[in-house]
Amino acid sequence: MIVGDLKPLEEIVSAIKEYKQILVLGCGSCVTVCLSGGEKEAEQLCHELSKVKHYKGALPKFEMGCILRQCEEDLVHEYQTIPDGTDAILSLACGAGVQTVADAYDPLPVIPALNTTFLGASAKPGNWSEMCRGCGDCVLTFTGGICPVARCAKSLFNGPCGGSQNGSCEVGLDTPCAWAMIYYRLKRQNKLHLLEEIRTPKDWRPGGAAGPRKRIRIGLGDGTKDS
Amino acid sequence: MSYFRVNKNCNGCLSCVENCPAAALSYSDRDDRRTLQHNMTKCARCGQCWRVCPQDAIEFRHLLVGQWDDVVTMDVIRCRVCGEPLYSPDYQQKVFGTVNTGSEPLCPQHRQRQAAGFFKPGKAESQLGVK
Repeated sequence: MIVGDLKPLEEIVSAIKEYKQILVLGCGSCVTVCLSGGEKEAEQLCHELSKVKHYKGALPKFEMGCILRQCEEDLVHEYQTIPDGTDAILSLACGAGVQTVADAYDPLPVIPALNTTFLGASAKPGNWSEMCRGCGDCVLTFTGGICPVARCAKSLFNGPCGGSQNGSCEVGLDTPCAWAMIYYRLKRQNKLHLLEEIRTPKDWRPGGAAGPRKRIRIGLGDGTKDS
Repeated sequence: MSYFRVNKNCNGCLSCVENCPAAALSYSDRDDRRTLQHNMTKCARCGQCWRVCPQDAIEFRHLLVGQWDDVVTMDVIRCRVCGEPLYSPDYQQKVFGTVNTGSEPLCPQHRQRQAAGFFKPGKAESQLGVK
């Protein structure tokens, strides 16, 4: 899922202080599950931002909302009510949600309350780790299901660097060396031969180096509300 | 029936309510009775309730593999030759009839056969011996 972190409160206050009435809008999907941008977090942020101490001028008026997914423009447009007088939206969605809401309600300013951080997974409650960079050309087949792009600090493709020590990465002992993990998992799978195969250099164009990526699935377009 | 189900171990401790990130669980205390409530439209099915339940009371599998719910039931028009269900009378009138002028209810296979001359429009029953 997409993992996000709430921005520092001072940064949020600085971004919203010029507005008079703000809709604080949570997102009911990824950022709800990772406890950063759902209904509860929107309520808490609304409560905190409603304190006079954050403002030198007038206290803005806050309203709170939450929608299942902010990243689908037709859904947002149809079902999210914008209260009369709203002059800005403070979105707790990921960057995709913030931009979608901004498109849906252009020219109403939409301000991000989160920093979108990574695509991750949860191995245990309350812990999320980066797992994928969306590179567009998955190599997990050859690396024992462990991504060297996302989980090696240097995104190396041909084994560990000299900083790998006792299974840990040089960036910190709590960060496992991805290539050590890859090696030992392939060994357990009796597939170490995969490491000896010569592969062509990675093509980074599917990963975004060729510009913003877009996908059109044939057969869905006619079913959307606005088409 | 709710997709969120608990077994007899549930003692109403409300750990699940307190820890639901989506605010999809609630409760009401009324007339000396506590009722646990679940709102499927808010539920992200993240499993946090199941993880934190100290009683192992939450049967999360019902949120992973649920049953099909009947939504609406209506008449259906069938292929005049083989009886395959095709579409509702309203669909035929509003959509299908507008893009297939003069068409009769036929499945894709029998529509092709009609086009190939196996039987004439409107004569399928008699020419193919359909009762």
